[in-house]
Amino acid sequence: MTETLESAPPPSPAADGPSRAPLPRLLRAELRWIFRRPRTLVVLGLLAAIPVIIGVALTLVDSPGPPDGGGDGDGGSLVATAAGNALVLPIAALAMALGLLLPLTAAMVGGDALAGEQAHGTLRGWLLAPVSRGRLLFVKAFGVATFAVCAAGVMALTGIVTGLVINGTDALVSLSGTTLTFPEALLKVAIAAGWVSLQLWAVGAVALAISACTEHPMVVLASVLGGVVVFSVLQFLDALDWLHPFLLNASWQDLADVLRDPMPGGALAEGALRAACYIAIALSLAYARLSTKDG
Amino acid sequence: MSTAVTGVDVPGTGASTPASPPAARTRGLRKTYGSTVAVDHVDLDIPEGAVLGMLGPNGSGKTTTIRMLLGLVRPTAGEASLLGHPMPAGAAHALPHVGALVEGPGFHPFLSGRENLLRLGAAEPKLSGREIPRAVDAALERVGLAGAATRRYRGYSLGMKQRLGLAAALLVPRRMVVLDEPTNGLDPAGTREVRSIIAELHAAGVTVLVSSHLLAEVEATCTHVAVLHAGTVVAQGELAELLESGSPGLVVSTPDAAEAVEALRRNRIPSRLTPEGVRVDLTATTAPEVVSALVHAGVSVHEARRARTGLEDLFARLTQQESNGEVSR
Repeated sequence: MTETLESAPPPSPAADGPSRAPLPRLLRAELRWIFRRPRTLVVLGLLAAIPVIIGVALTLVDSPGPPDGGGDGDGGSLVATAAGNALVLPIAALAMALGLLLPLTAAMVGGDALAGEQAHGTLRGWLLAPVSRGRLLFVKAFGVATFAVCAAGVMALTGIVTGLVINGTDALVSLSGTTLTFPEALLKVAIAAGWVSLQLWAVGAVALAISACTEHPMVVLASVLGGVVVFSVLQFLDALDWLHPFLLNASWQDLADVLRDPMPGGALAEGALRAACYIAIALSLAYARLSTKDG
Repeated sequence: MSTAVTGVDVPGTGASTPASPPAARTRGLRKTYGSTVAVDHVDLDIPEGAVLGMLGPNGSGKTTTIRMLLGLVRPTAGEASLLGHPMPAGAAHALPHVGALVEGPGFHPFLSGRENLLRLGAAEPKLSGREIPRAVDAALERVGLAGAATRRYRGYSLGMKQRLGLAAALLVPRRMVVLDEPTNGLDPAGTREVRSIIAELHAAGVTVLVSSHLLAEVEATCTHVAVLHAGTVVAQGELAELLESGSPGLVVSTPDAAEAVEALRRNRIPSRLTPEGVRVDLTATTAPEVVSALVHAGVSVHEARRARTGLEDLFARLTQQESNGEVSR
């Protein structure tokens, strides 16, 4: 094929200590891979469109102002409030999407991360390089986390912009009735986006754990989706209230707390802690499976 | 009658470099999936600098053995070592020096060939960040894919995919290259190119392990052969040695074949008629004696040559013989 002879004679045995590629390089390569994938870009684009669609729809429908109950925390009344309030729109959009749509996207990325790569036979390439399985999982978990931040971030961003375009910076009223300055409102949106990212990362970590056990990304997607639906149903069964603290989405409804002034932190902190536990357990399981898996 | 061939160790394995340790070695390697025994009692030695052809029918355990050697699969029992490091524990030491194409090429369809290799290059410990693009371009050039480097992998033909897999194995100068069915899907020209790449690697002192079911391929490129059947090694050693290990014989081409057989029988030399000529058994006599006996009997001889057992014969003999004895396993 060519006349160049690339392979050098074997180096001395002394030069064959353990060696590995620098971690930042692997992380960069992983992010490039995630964000070069058309699927990822389409999903992020659609997520970005959701707050815009909500904002435009509410404006056109010309819905009434604040809801009667002052917002009891669920997505529906939040959305009603979002019509006249640039602060509420991004958070309402996030709360709505967190129910099913955002977990779905996190599961998609988690499924592609290991199961998808396995299906394409590309996981082997890195294992043979070699990339140790622990580092591989770290890189994958980092990729999923980055996607989670991007997904929540992009929704928050278009939510803010749409809210500002429709309502300007007036009427940044919290659910408690106090008026907030613009930086205060931004901070609240950032907190909400960060909190949602963490929840998504937890979903993504679970997806990674399932992903390590299969080579069909569809299985990952279906299991996570099924899990979210089942968890949501379990929330409604009062007889099972002892189980509720163990359900990842137990505090997802409490996202609206961010909009209160002062912000009650209890439920949000509990939700964050729950997500952290899910991440720790799911990544441990993923590692246990990945480290013994045939490559 | 078959002497050294049926034994697992043929003397002379690694005779070319007696002092250096084997590039790869397995002892008592066994892998089971549930109740299925994929590989059992595999004792393989790959001498440093050899080109070892691994032969075997489909499902004989070639790929499983390779995957265990590379640390992708944990053996159920037994041990494997690669470049002197136990696998899979020593993967971080051994694998940077090993390039491999296992179980067909695996790449991302939405990335171009070049981007796919860049992603693999990022994980190569032996490449610094700056060297990656250069190494990738050189590897693409080497397998003849430079022209299609920026096209998406999705649109590659089977042969181009195979070439890209080969390029990935050659991304870094290696001490050992493992190629599992490298000529799958390649046209005759591509097959020749693979052969010349293997020859180049061999000339540079790189140990090569090629698995194939194309016997001609192996016969043309390899210095050593290991034959697997039903999960075990049924023969291994230097190619030339294995080929000669059958019963020695001489093939005589003559216009009066019947007369020749008659003349030889008078001299108590066993022989028989075959389509290629008269085949003479040399276990009890020598070639000059045969020729002189024929000439004295007035039989004209066009040509007399050593009968080499073709790899195909050898392969057929080994795998059939073994399957008779080992069906019950």
